[in-house]
Amino acid sequence: MLLKTSLRSLLAHKGRMVLSLIAIVLSVAFVSGTLVFSDTATSTFDKLFASTASDVQVSPAPPKGGNAADTGGKTLTVPATTLAQLTAQPGVKSAEGSVSVQSATLVNPKTNKAVGPTGGAPTIVGAWVPGPHPAMTVTSGSAPSGPRQMMIDADTAKHANLHLGDPIRIIGDQGTFDFTISGIATFTGTNPGAALAFTDVPTAQQDLLGSTGGYTSIDLYGDGSKTDDQLKAEVGAVVGSDYQAKTAAEQKADNQKGIGSFLDFMKYVMLGFAGISLLVGAFLIINTFSMLVAQRTREIGLLRALGGSRKQVNRSVLIEALLLGVIGSTLGMAAGLGIALLLIQLMKLAGMNLSTSLDISASVPIASYLVGIVITVLAAWIPARRAGKVSPMAALSDHGTPSEGASNKIRMALGLLVTLGGGALLAAGATAKQLAAGGSDLGLGLVLTLIGFVILGPLLAGVVIRLLGAVLPALFGPAGRLAQRNALRNPRRTGATAAALMIGLALVTGASVVTNSMVSSTSAQIDKSVGADYIITVNHGGLTAPMIAAAKGTAGLAHVTEQRELPATFTLPGGKSVDQLVSAVSPTFAQDFSLPVSSGSVNGLAAGGITVDANFAKDNSLKVGDRIGIDYGKGRTQSLPIALVTSTGNQIFDRHFFATIDTVDQAVPADQQPTDVVVFGKAAAGADVEKTLTALQDSLNAYPQVSVQDQAGYKKLVQKSVDTLLYLVYGLLGLAIMVAVLGVVNTLALSVVERTREIGLLRAIGLSRRQLRRMIRLESVVIALFGAILGTGLGLSWGITTQRVLRNSGLNVLSVPVGTIVVVLLLSAVVGLLAALLPAFRAARMNVLAAIASG
Amino acid sequence: MTTASTAVQASENPGGPSASAAAARQVTKAYGSGETRVTALDAVDVDIQRGRFTAIMGPSGSGKSTLMHCLAGLDTVSEGRIWIGDTEITGLRDKQLTRLRRDKIGFIFQAFNLLPTLNALENITLPMDIAGRKADPAWLQQVVETVGLADRLKHRPTQLSGGQQQRVAVARALAARPEIIFGDEPTGNLDSRSGAEVLTFLRRSVDELAQTIVMVTHDPVAASYADRVLFLADGVIVDEMHGPTADSVLERMRRFDGKRTS
Repeated sequence: MLLKTSLRSLLAHKGRMVLSLIAIVLSVAFVSGTLVFSDTATSTFDKLFASTASDVQVSPAPPKGGNAADTGGKTLTVPATTLAQLTAQPGVKSAEGSVSVQSATLVNPKTNKAVGPTGGAPTIVGAWVPGPHPAMTVTSGSAPSGPRQMMIDADTAKHANLHLGDPIRIIGDQGTFDFTISGIATFTGTNPGAALAFTDVPTAQQDLLGSTGGYTSIDLYGDGSKTDDQLKAEVGAVVGSDYQAKTAAEQKADNQKGIGSFLDFMKYVMLGFAGISLLVGAFLIINTFSMLVAQRTREIGLLRALGGSRKQVNRSVLIEALLLGVIGSTLGMAAGLGIALLLIQLMKLAGMNLSTSLDISASVPIASYLVGIVITVLAAWIPARRAGKVSPMAALSDHGTPSEGASNKIRMALGLLVTLGGGALLAAGATAKQLAAGGSDLGLGLVLTLIGFVILGPLLAGVVIRLLGAVLPALFGPAGRLAQRNALRNPRRTGATAAALMIGLALVTGASVVTNSMVSSTSAQIDKSVGADYIITVNHGGLTAPMIAAAKGTAGLAHVTEQRELPATFTLPGGKSVDQLVSAVSPTFAQDFSLPVSSGSVNGLAAGGITVDANFAKDNSLKVGDRIGIDYGKGRTQSLPIALVTSTGNQIFDRHFFATIDTVDQAVPADQQPTDVVVFGKAAAGADVEKTLTALQDSLNAYPQVSVQDQAGYKKLVQKSVDTLLYLVYGLLGLAIMVAVLGVVNTLALSVVERTREIGLLRAIGLSRRQLRRMIRLESVVIALFGAILGTGLGLSWGITTQRVLRNSGLNVLSVPVGTIVVVLLLSAVVGLLAALLPAFRAARMNVLAAIASG
Repeated sequence: MTTASTAVQASENPGGPSASAAAARQVTKAYGSGETRVTALDAVDVDIQRGRFTAIMGPSGSGKSTLMHCLAGLDTVSEGRIWIGDTEITGLRDKQLTRLRRDKIGFIFQAFNLLPTLNALENITLPMDIAGRKADPAWLQQVVETVGLADRLKHRPTQLSGGQQQRVAVARALAARPEIIFGDEPTGNLDSRSGAEVLTFLRRSVDELAQTIVMVTHDPVAASYADRVLFLADGVIVDEMHGPTADSVLERMRRFDGKRTS
């Protein structure tokens, strides 16, 4: 019986449910799309790695304290003698030595531009060793042989417009080498997005590793008499601790870790979108059900008068929500498949070909229904309770709208309490000495102020809209006055509608304050501490000796300062040991940078000391003069005195341990040190700084992966890296606005229906259609602006607090993006206009007589 | 040229501007078509005299409300022509009709006459606000005093009694000095005392302010306040009475009922 009434009510109001449904569908679609996408991607790579992995792979053990590939370190090799040894190993059917490095850059000599992915995916150059189950096959031309032939993968060839017979160049640690394209290879399965180039084995050894006879890894294939684990154990015993052996399963896991971190990032971004749309959607659902309950007050009153219990009324609303949730989840799950396909296409554009046969695990429907139904039912809970409270008397009263006001005092008290509590926490966070304490204050304060604002929303609506609306009658005449009054007439509804927009804008404003401050702080730090005129960075691989030499030879340049990072294990005086990177720098570093001195002296650096930052010193009770034992691995150790403790708050020096290259040379021979990660240049006294920049760029023209920037250019580069984050924020903004528009449309549409008679009356006494439309548009704009003002206000307080909390962690300059905020506010007004289009159109088309006669 | 000159001729009020505030000629209003066709008004001719109080009566379904709606330009006619003052309103577009309603017509409905968001004074001046005109303060004062609302002007409709609300509606209709006021059962929702109050105000506005009023009602007592009563039955004007009393109207109405039951 209850089910029947709920079902009928749902059908009767299907028009009004559509918008709530869209909100549910949208949120669920993001959840299911994300899950399907990551399932599909994982299974695609699973298949790829499973098919290409050897039974056991032997490679050099990574040095202590980190991964060699991450730091631009020297490529370690397995000698040919080991290959011979392993081939003879019992149980091994065949052993293949392979060479592949990720530090080399592929260049198209015709355009002098780098070829291959510029984003996160690697460029892999190596020897063509197909093995028993190759990941690629030669699809045109032939496999490379001899010192001047190279084969590249089909996707890279296509993107760079390279063909058989074209010249190609690699620039690696060992120098620059030119080749002719002899063949094109295509992936048998999925291209993980990397660029690949192959030569024959001796050429790869010579040009990439600097000497013949070494391999970067050896792939072993068993004869089936032993399991991978047995083979691994036996091989491990033969090669010793300088090398590591990995089974097929371990290789697969390793490979997945690499790809996984990228996929995880995608997954979290998508889930972030899902979260936002869920949060905003929840408000939409609350609002829709509130309005439906309000409209049906008389009907509910009648039901109660006829003997329906509170519980029954309550339950009937919840069942309606449940039905809506089920429908929304089902549609959302289906829409999610579309989103997954879209993402796969997007990945294709980025060079990653994923299988288009979607992989749908049981978690997809489970998560979809769970999310959709739980959110819908939870959101409908409040209106349902309100419905239960309708008295039977409501059936008899003329105007069947429940009164508010009774709970306003409680609301005010509760809202103020929560908001003030949140505000106090934010203030505490902003002034906290400890980062951890500040962070937790910030987190809790954020949540509390948000909840507080949501509770206070209806009360704030009264104040803010009265102010906002004060200008409306003056500007827009009677339509303006009516709009203002209408926006004020149901503050709870206005508050909930605006809340959807508020949440989105608060997040965006907060994030943009933080990112803006990030850029400003970094710029300020550069201004304050960087004395170098030029910053030379490399997109791919490291800065090799020939590059440094080319830079040094530039006219007008006084000197260059090199910086390279060596992974090491520190042994502190207390006996504690930690893995860190030693930043080895030229002695001119002290001239090019003004190091912030907490204690000690800059001169100590040149005298063979090391620097630590103040936080590290404090945490480990270190002071100037204490000695740190440094182990670079393979028996290369040294003990260095602390020459200088740098004060914190500058990202260039925080968490860095500087020592001069001369100092490091004493433990690690120069030819075993990694290439430079960054090089700084200083113009000679009297030299034209601009001209020298051009000259420096010309000197390094042969290396397209290297970029030379002056300080302004470098700041722009920093800005650009933050921009990626901003685009994400704007994506969130777009979504939040989209859902918020649905909310405003929803509210207005229902208001128009509710006010049918009023609109009829207005039209009868002479309000023109145009004035009527304007009235509804203005109401919409006022609601949107109200939400936007609350949102930006809240967002500003969040952003500023975050900056205060992180003031000692590099975010020392507060920068509020006023332009962005103004644009966002204007955009909100536009959103209001857009949202009003349809409701205004419908209201204006209403038949006057029918409208008056209705209800 | 021919069409233009006929148009000019046609738009002249046949009764002459000084004689009629509104007029209808051969007005027919029908709903549906074919077998389901229902004729609400059947070739009705009517003239509403200026400065007088006219009541339209008839049993339910007689077409009295339809006639008023058509005269007021709220509803369209199937055939025939209607004038308000000098202006023919049949064939006007929505924009022109809206302006006409705004500038020349006042309305009093049975219920829901006032915007809940505006106070009494704002409701009274609303038509002028919409038109972008200033209310004449002296006139406004006179109207407000006539309807006896001077101390209630800042109240919202929900703070007023039903009778007070209808008086505000009357004041609103009067304040803009329309050529004609249409009342659709203006006392239908009121108790007899409040109803009498409202009707007295309407009567006074005709006598003292020379207002033209047309009122649809089914209440003989209400009709007795009018100068003239038109009786409608089955979409046709069947009778007319000048200087009605409650009893004479009631008597006339009984004849409809008698005819029906017989």
